[in-house]
Amino acid sequence: MNADNRKGELAELKAQLRQLAGSRAPGVEELKRELYKKVINYLTVGIDVSSLFSEMVMCSATSDLVLKKMCYLYVGNYARGHPDLALLTINFLQKDCQDDDPMIRGLALRSLCSLRVKNLVEYLVGPLQRGLKDNNGYVRSVAALGVLKLYHIAPSSCTENEFPVTLKALLLHDSDPQVVANCLYSLLEIWSMEGNSSEAALREKESLLSRNVILSLLNRFKDFSEWAQCLVLELVSKYVPEDAQETHDMMDLLDDRLQHANSAVVLATIKVFLHLTMSMAEVHQKVYERIKAPLLTLVSSGIAELSYAVLSHLHLLVLRAPVLFASDYKHFYCRYSDPSYVKKLKLEMLTAVANESNTYDIVTELSEYAANVDVTIARESIRAVGKIALQQYDVNAIVDRLLQFLEMEKDYVTAETLVLVKDLLRKYPQWSHDCIAVVGGVSSKSITEPKAKSALIWMLGEYAYDMNDAPYVLEGFVQNWAEEDFPEVRLELLTAVAKCFFKRPPETLKILGSALSYGLADANQDVHDRALLYYRLLQHSVEIAERVISPPKQAVSVFAGDQSIEIKDRIFDEFNSLSVVYRQPSYMFLDKDQRSPFTFSEDTGSSVLGPQSPEREDLASDYDTRDNELLLGAHEKEESRAVSNGSHGFSAPKSQTSQHDPFAPRSASPTQTAQPARATAASPQATVSSSAASPLLAVDDLLGLGPSIPAEPAPPVPQLKLNAKPVLDPASFKRKWGQLTVALTVEYTFPAEALHGLTGPQPLVRHMQANSVQCMASGNAPLKFFFFAQLSDAAPNSGFFLVELVVTTSSGLASAKIKADEASMAPAFADSLRSALSKFGP
Amino acid sequence: MLHCMFLLSDVGEIMLEKQWMGQQVDRSICSWFWTQAHPPGQDDSDPAKVPAVIASPTYYLINIVREGVTFLACTQSEMQPLLGIEFLCRVADVLADYFGGFNEDLIKDNYVLVYELLDEMMDSGFPLTTEPSILKEMITPPNLVSRVLSVVTGGSSSMSSTLPTAASSNVPWRATGIKHTNNDVYFDLVEEMDAIVNKDGFLVKCQVYGEVQGNSRLSGMPELTLNFVNPSIISDVRFHPCVRYEDWESRQLLKFVPPDGHFKLMSYRVKGLENTPIYVKPQLSCSEGVVRVNILVGIRVDPGRPIESVVVDIPWPPSVTTTELTANLGTVSYNHSTKVCTWTIGRIPKEKSPCLTGSVNLEAGLDRLHEFPTISVGFKIMGVALSGLKVDKMEYANVGYRPYKGFRAVTKATCYEIRT
Repeated sequence: MNADNRKGELAELKAQLRQLAGSRAPGVEELKRELYKKVINYLTVGIDVSSLFSEMVMCSATSDLVLKKMCYLYVGNYARGHPDLALLTINFLQKDCQDDDPMIRGLALRSLCSLRVKNLVEYLVGPLQRGLKDNNGYVRSVAALGVLKLYHIAPSSCTENEFPVTLKALLLHDSDPQVVANCLYSLLEIWSMEGNSSEAALREKESLLSRNVILSLLNRFKDFSEWAQCLVLELVSKYVPEDAQETHDMMDLLDDRLQHANSAVVLATIKVFLHLTMSMAEVHQKVYERIKAPLLTLVSSGIAELSYAVLSHLHLLVLRAPVLFASDYKHFYCRYSDPSYVKKLKLEMLTAVANESNTYDIVTELSEYAANVDVTIARESIRAVGKIALQQYDVNAIVDRLLQFLEMEKDYVTAETLVLVKDLLRKYPQWSHDCIAVVGGVSSKSITEPKAKSALIWMLGEYAYDMNDAPYVLEGFVQNWAEEDFPEVRLELLTAVAKCFFKRPPETLKILGSALSYGLADANQDVHDRALLYYRLLQHSVEIAERVISPPKQAVSVFAGDQSIEIKDRIFDEFNSLSVVYRQPSYMFLDKDQRSPFTFSEDTGSSVLGPQSPEREDLASDYDTRDNELLLGAHEKEESRAVSNGSHGFSAPKSQTSQHDPFAPRSASPTQTAQPARATAASPQATVSSSAASPLLAVDDLLGLGPSIPAEPAPPVPQLKLNAKPVLDPASFKRKWGQLTVALTVEYTFPAEALHGLTGPQPLVRHMQANSVQCMASGNAPLKFFFFAQLSDAAPNSGFFLVELVVTTSSGLASAKIKADEASMAPAFADSLRSALSKFGP
Repeated sequence: MLHCMFLLSDVGEIMLEKQWMGQQVDRSICSWFWTQAHPPGQDDSDPAKVPAVIASPTYYLINIVREGVTFLACTQSEMQPLLGIEFLCRVADVLADYFGGFNEDLIKDNYVLVYELLDEMMDSGFPLTTEPSILKEMITPPNLVSRVLSVVTGGSSSMSSTLPTAASSNVPWRATGIKHTNNDVYFDLVEEMDAIVNKDGFLVKCQVYGEVQGNSRLSGMPELTLNFVNPSIISDVRFHPCVRYEDWESRQLLKFVPPDGHFKLMSYRVKGLENTPIYVKPQLSCSEGVVRVNILVGIRVDPGRPIESVVVDIPWPPSVTTTELTANLGTVSYNHSTKVCTWTIGRIPKEKSPCLTGSVNLEAGLDRLHEFPTISVGFKIMGVALSGLKVDKMEYANVGYRPYKGFRAVTKATCYEIRT
């Protein structure tokens, strides 16, 4: 339907409605119904029919329930955009709220609340108050949700009229379970939002966790609808029972929920069980046994979307209790028909549950996927085999598989396999003979991917003794130098040729020569620099060159995991939340996207910002740039440190910084390109935390030994005095946060008793204020704060310390990132921050 | 909780929009989602490319896909993921129940009805009623009679003018005062076999996922008790809220007051089956760009009933150009765009084993197959539950009539895969 046509139709509808409005002729209701239906039809498909508003309202004076319902639908949809017109509807809706039929009362009240027009709030309060006292359960339950709608439009009006108090009374005493559930939903939402600015509301929210509320909800638990049960279970999962007996009673009561047809109920119950027994190791273990079967049933329910969400949770559990599913690994075998995102998760599950008893089966299974038509899955499964190989000692079986993979002569399979073999060798050099035998058979021509090529070249250089034709294969690569598009491969080639030269000089000398000359002429700066470095090193002394380029290797014991234990723990806090399905703790998103309401403290900013506030988005994007800066900063530091690293290695002459010296900074930098990339990836925390420390430490750091810093005698700490009442507006905070880099990170673990006091952000905010550290903003779930403090003698707008503090409530671990105007003062501030945190108690 | 829901057609067009919160979610989110799910320039062979939960720059998006229709829900705050997914699944189920099936056209024909249903199923982002029997009290499903009436009288609305009676009763899934002239109740045991045979011909996994589906048309408030002969074979069960769990726990009895109409009484899982009723033995041998194919299908364990609707699907990898396959039984068809070869056998005769033979040609330059197809097999056995689960008897109480009772069993293969 084109626009003109549509306009014509709307005009016609309008005329017809107008005609019918005043008519009382028999049969007019039927005609109206027909027209209304047309209008609703347009509305549902998204055609704007708001121009008919006044006609629709005019026609709504009717006793016909069906017409009323359609009219309510219409009005609810458009009132917000047309507040002036909405006023027209108030009258008839208010009248309907006092109808004799409870159905009409309920529907009218619902529509009235759905208008969501600010200047009509005054008309809402009366009907809502009556609705909450209505003798019909349906009307009360509509009113309970209506309170929430009122809160969304006018929070103050909602609290001034003491609606939350009324809801709480209904929550405890109403006879209708749906009313209770709706009250609970509204209260939770209202107090969470209110809690960001008011402590009283936070206390109110905590009071929902009190024993009598929880028990009253649990006592009538089975009367609730399945969705309300999810809500109650979520609440119960935060409750701390009085004693073991209560825990057991609750678990007995909820046990059959694990068999519920609604998967949301099952998962919410599991969360309750896990949380209730967190401190009871033995029972906790039994809980794992108990929840296993229901979870596996959910996975095999045949609904891909459900399987996916449940598998994400299983993955979380497996990281905690790998043995648990070790015998059920067959559940994670991929079906051909599974969507690839499910397959991917299943592969991860298979990797995670692999242990000595099932490795053979799992690797056999994974090997079958390598021939899968889906290339991504084929690649993933080879990587999975690699991960298992790196976890296990039974590499024998896996070497067989590798052979098979290479026999497949499929480019991407060969490529992935080579990378895998390289990693294997770095961890288990003792397997070199078997692996090299396999790799030796690979035709270097069939490999196109840079990663695989680099891996092959690395092995050729590293195991030049074991591979007879290593120099000749390398020669082939060198001859094709010009066709090699990827600098990373050329870099690797330079190093490999050099290594090969140290092992088999006579055969390699000529190749090395041509490689170096190609390298020196290379357009890529890094390649050129590395070639130059090698050249000069070799010129200086072959022995020293060998010590630099090809030192004895130490086997890597652990590869840097993709997720730290701490993050896994934090995710566990968020069991049964969207963040699990994402595999990222929610605060990572909140930082960037601000999906949840985030408030600025009253003391300083006093502005409550909603989820979509533009200012917040600015801050969020600042974070992005800040993250980038942070990374860049770390890189630059690495580069500059590399100088000291290079010189450290072979005690270069003192004229280190002279322009003519071959080891001058610029040409030295490429030496570390291979290593630091890993060092940064492996321990970003470490590199960042030491950036304020003395440059001497950089070498340790480069090798990934960052955390050993405290052993170094600290520079004398200047006395720290903080301004008791610093002033910093949110905008400046934001700007500073974006400009400064992290000077220090501090970790502190709250003792259990202090943790009890940490039910919301407010207690800690107050405590820190007493210690001259002000709060700029705070968020709940996860607990996160932005603090600031100022040196007492600092000039305005200087001498500030900015802190981002994230608290994991399960473990009590608090980690703070400190940024400072004066970085030299950061360690002193870190100490006072730590001591302030340690004084925090209930 | 959920802010809104969109229904998208299989080309990404918004068919329906329903907002549950005051703050309206802009429709542009749908086009953002669609480009994620169907990146331009890629073929759409895998319809479910995006996981069920993804994050856009502004919202968390939860989606499920049913018969080409995408149910897309948005939320701004953290919530229970399964609550979202399960709710969308329920919406799809309720719609299918109302329309007696589910597809794009049915939605387009019933916009208003869908809209009304969504209005009743959720308010302020919190799910209210998803129980079909209660929804039907509030909103009458379209049936032949009402359709005819609407044509005759011109008046057509699905809205009923009464308040659901069950909404506040203590049996929330059943209305009071239900009356039927013929009282009958049927139970179907529907089992789906999920099995994988690996390259070496070993059965690596074989389990059954079963459901007891009920269809009750009983008056009053009947109390039913269902007994199984061998309940101990069940590994794990999930129940409709109507089932009293205590009786299952203590005596393995299903005691319940059934909802009216169609419902899913329980679902269960039986693991560790040792054999599949039919075997499929593929042999592929490659030489010089030609793959010789020989696939044998036969009965391994006679279930005592005929094995019907046997279909063998062979999705050839992209390197296959042409196929020349013939079968001694049934028909063979080949889809050139998807490269799936479908062999429809039908019922397997006792005297003769079906066999598919022939050859497949590979694209030039390839000597042999590098990617091997995974053959999927579908079949159906009426009258037998593969797991061996049997209903013993059904008793009824609290009624003044003798209802007619019916039981059926059916086994289907949904995921019987044979790797080559």
